[in-house]
Amino acid sequence: MRVRRYMSISVLLAIVPVVLSMTGCWSRKEIEDIGFVLSIGVDHAAEEGEIMITVHIAKPFAISTGVAGAVDEKPFWQVSSTGHTVFEAWRNLRQQSPRRPLLHHSRFIVFGEEFARGGIREAIDFFSREGEVRETNTVVVAKGVKASEVVWNEFELERMPAEGALGIMKIAVQELSTAVMVTLNDFLQILEVEGHEAVASRAELVRRPSFEDPRGELKRETISVSGRETGAAAFKGDKLVGWLDKTQTRGLQWVKGKVRGGIIVIEQLETEDKLASIEILRASSAVIPKIVDGRPFVLIKVGALGNLGETQEYFDPMESQEIWISMERRMAEMIKHEIQAALDIAKYEFNSDIFGFGAEIYRKYPKEWMKLKDRWDEEFRKLDVEIEVETSLRRSGLTRRSIQVVRKEED
Amino acid sequence: MTVLEGGKISGRQFMAVLIVLRIVPVTLVFSLISNINHVQDVWIAVIIGAVITIPFAVLVTKLSLRFPGKTIIEYSQILLGPVVGRLLGLVILWCFLCTSIDITRVLGEGYVIAIMPETPILAFMVMLAFMSSYAARSGLEVTCRLGEDVFYILVFVLLLTYVLPYNAMRFENLRPVLAWGVSNLVPPVISDLGFYSQFLMIGMLVPYLNRPEDATKYAIYAVLIGSGLMALAAVVLVAVFGPTANSWTLPLYSLSRMISLGEFFERIEVAVMAAWTLSTGIKLALFLWAASIAIAQLFNLRAFEHLVYPLGAVIVASGLFFFNSMVDLEDFLAKAGAVSSILVAGVTLTLLYAALGIRTLIRRRKGGSG
Repeated sequence: MRVRRYMSISVLLAIVPVVLSMTGCWSRKEIEDIGFVLSIGVDHAAEEGEIMITVHIAKPFAISTGVAGAVDEKPFWQVSSTGHTVFEAWRNLRQQSPRRPLLHHSRFIVFGEEFARGGIREAIDFFSREGEVRETNTVVVAKGVKASEVVWNEFELERMPAEGALGIMKIAVQELSTAVMVTLNDFLQILEVEGHEAVASRAELVRRPSFEDPRGELKRETISVSGRETGAAAFKGDKLVGWLDKTQTRGLQWVKGKVRGGIIVIEQLETEDKLASIEILRASSAVIPKIVDGRPFVLIKVGALGNLGETQEYFDPMESQEIWISMERRMAEMIKHEIQAALDIAKYEFNSDIFGFGAEIYRKYPKEWMKLKDRWDEEFRKLDVEIEVETSLRRSGLTRRSIQVVRKEED
Repeated sequence: MTVLEGGKISGRQFMAVLIVLRIVPVTLVFSLISNINHVQDVWIAVIIGAVITIPFAVLVTKLSLRFPGKTIIEYSQILLGPVVGRLLGLVILWCFLCTSIDITRVLGEGYVIAIMPETPILAFMVMLAFMSSYAARSGLEVTCRLGEDVFYILVFVLLLTYVLPYNAMRFENLRPVLAWGVSNLVPPVISDLGFYSQFLMIGMLVPYLNRPEDATKYAIYAVLIGSGLMALAAVVLVAVFGPTANSWTLPLYSLSRMISLGEFFERIEVAVMAAWTLSTGIKLALFLWAASIAIAQLFNLRAFEHLVYPLGAVIVASGLFFFNSMVDLEDFLAKAGAVSSILVAGVTLTLLYAALGIRTLIRRRKGGSG
């Protein structure tokens, strides 16, 4: 009797949440009534004090490819709307969209440069408070243009702008380390962390040359304007202060220990202007703050592993161990150079602690940090930073020595 | 007098329901982390809370073991006399009802905030109260057996949400340790103890244990495991959210939203929410059962089953009317609610032990003179 009752209650307990989670009641949303937003851009509107948001929404009926009867049109739609706040602008979007736009699947939150320079504080609260937005969205700043123009950058090989941008960004992060991917969660956190300024991904427009193919008609027009997703946007507080280029971004990533791949080009030999490429395998880093006589000091230790990937001149590592070691040394110098480039621009141009040295001091010397905190801007500018790079070349690929070009023409 | 509750529970079930009891509000609103200014030390607050709670749990258990087969409602009448004892019993009953009201409203709010904002909160509260009343009506044995199963589900889902957002974790967020002093830890410890005061429930459960002598051991295990799970939650939340951890209304729900494995294993928060619902259901069932038993014992009723459904209805109605908003509810849980339940637990325990001391003293003197 009790066992049967136990069973029936178990079944009831199991069914109720399932039924509830099927959203069969008030909050029901049918798939035919929904428009999936894949990225959302935020700008100042033309009207004074208003905010304009631009979204790119997937067109489900145009996504299918290669199927007979598939609609040959853009699989997405970009649309803007305005309001006094982000939420109002977002809700006003419903005046234009026959389907209810949803943010559950969005990938990017893009800020226009002008908007970001004025401070993004007034826009970010919506994104953490609204349950539809995931904290795993990537925060992007559009360089030189409005977010509305970047949101629907088209890419070859991917039909959806957001998917294309995501693909490029991922590859740049993993195989070049020249881009950053900052999630909304990371970005908001760093705004609150003491002694740490935020960076975000950088996106810009590039014009692609159009190829007139004389051999026949193009079936689909090539994309004339596409996006570039390398580099980073540096913030101070909630305001954009400047841009990091590829080298500086990798410098930043070395310090953060986030370099996951890439090529370092070094001079092959001191005497000749021939080059060699080294493929980065792995990297690690440690930022060690110290306080000497009340003055802060930071030691950056970077370790990197690489493979020899290419040489322009004949090279045989078996000839002498020293050449191999000197290659490692030159690799370390290049890394140092990249870090120095990032340090210089952050210290002297932005005066923004994007490396989080202040946060490291706060974590290790909380009491001293309380004293430093208020004048950290000057202290950061004056901060002594020592960079130690340890590199190791592991392998030389499938060949040991390079192919030698035997001089024949002089006979 | 007929037996009100004939069920027997095992030590492990006892432990499981106690842990569910402590973990339940944490799965939705995590008051410890919401009430701390500098979040990186919140795990220390959890440990301090556990250290203070263990003696409390042991004292409650030991007291119950002195009166085998009697609940805290019954032996407070023996110790303090029928009038004062009944008054104390009424206060304990009030605490049970308050807790039931809080958690019913919290679960409803959780659903409305996180999953279905347009749905009236009443729908969720009624469903939960119905589910729990049905279980409570079947008696302690059924509730606790279910409780053990739900405990395993709860721990499994909790561990999943702790481990899976690993790529968003940054453990340097946990430093510096104790840089803001001990005063930073006072509000979270108070709110932790506020919830642990609900361990007065031990006084209702011990008489139904099949091996009461193990009660102390399992009560201590419950505090240790419950606090361990909470300390882990605190560490993971701070690692993932950093200083923004205390900004979330439903921290563990937001944590489960961070799970993204290879871009296909994500958006599992609804499944997580289902586990929270089950555990809340068990906790509410237990409190409904305890409140009904308490009423029956206070007013010498012969059965408690008929009280459960009306109580469930009262709880849903009160849950709707007690709190104006989620902010109101959180404020109550953090401040007035926590302090008042610590007071009730403290006063109950002091009164009962004082009465026990005086009784033994009188008895010894009588024995000595006679």
